[in-house]
Amino acid sequence: MARSQPTDPPIDLQAAVRGEVSWFCCGTAWGPCSSTGKGACGTCNSGNLQHAWPNTSDACWAITRPDSCGFALSRRTCGFQHRITALCSGTSVVTSIADCGPQTDLFCGERSCCGATCATDRIIDLTPAAYSRIASLSTGLRPCEISTP
Amino acid sequence: MTSRRQLLKSAVLGGGAGVVAATALGSLGPEAAFGAAAPDVEPGAPDPDFAEGRIRSIKDNTLLVLGSNMVFHNIRVVDGTSLWKLGPTTFDQAKPGDGLYARGVRMPDGVLAAESVWLNIVNIKGHVSNITSEKIHLDHKGQEVLCHRVAGKSIAVYSDAPPSADLSLLRVGQHVQILGAWRPDTNEVDIATVFSPH
Repeated sequence: MARSQPTDPPIDLQAAVRGEVSWFCCGTAWGPCSSTGKGACGTCNSGNLQHAWPNTSDACWAITRPDSCGFALSRRTCGFQHRITALCSGTSVVTSIADCGPQTDLFCGERSCCGATCATDRIIDLTPAAYSRIASLSTGLRPCEISTP
Repeated sequence: MTSRRQLLKSAVLGGGAGVVAATALGSLGPEAAFGAAAPDVEPGAPDPDFAEGRIRSIKDNTLLVLGSNMVFHNIRVVDGTSLWKLGPTTFDQAKPGDGLYARGVRMPDGVLAAESVWLNIVNIKGHVSNITSEKIHLDHKGQEVLCHRVAGKSIAVYSDAPPSADLSLLRVGQHVQILGAWRPDTNEVDIATVFSPH
């Protein structure tokens, strides 16, 4: 049974949200990614400027549970655009939702920093094409700020 | 001021002087490389300055890569290109069969002048199903991936603590993210970094 969302206003409707960003592969791919499909929206490709969002549907929310880490994130569906700004470089990229994720609840309390600038909890995953616009893929995980374009 | 992208372009088009200019940018190291302005691409669309696939052949300084979507890419490596294979590496470590992601500047003839090439890089999440002194067995979406510790290379990041070579705090059953280098045509990965939430 799908769990319902909390009734408090989602924090990302009030201001930009800070959290951690990582990257994931999707679509046709090589290696361990070769079994990955096109994502919850059916459009995801590693070479496209896309991202995964933890609240694309009730079923998605029931898996990712960002509320268990204290995040009430808005329901946003396939194609919705976010701007993701890397707090290390200040560089940003605008991407659209193509999948459900990350599984925020499994990494609750995790924190990434660039010097004194930190962000806590995983709230977005980018495709390799998108992530590599704002950071090296070899960094794996970075603090970021998420807003609407 | 000449941008990094312009210098990369000239490195490919202009020959010697351009190559020197690109090298003068420094190592084109990971963080520094990502301040350069890239052309606007519609969100959701393919990024023309990015390529993925597996190396079919290598000729001079060019990688012929077959994308997973069956599109071929010619990826030109210049003096300033940053290469990664479990860590910073050199062009001679690129081998046919390697998977890759590359970012650079798409030239008018379709060649991708590479700023960065990541060879065999994977970034996978999963549950730790077993740990030995040499390996972490990762359940990644129902498939086992054998993740090898590599002396002098593998590190763990426990939340915001400084990176550590000590992987002994990892526990069976916990969820982790493993950044590493795939061993082509296997279910095995050499570990660069294990990210643990605690």
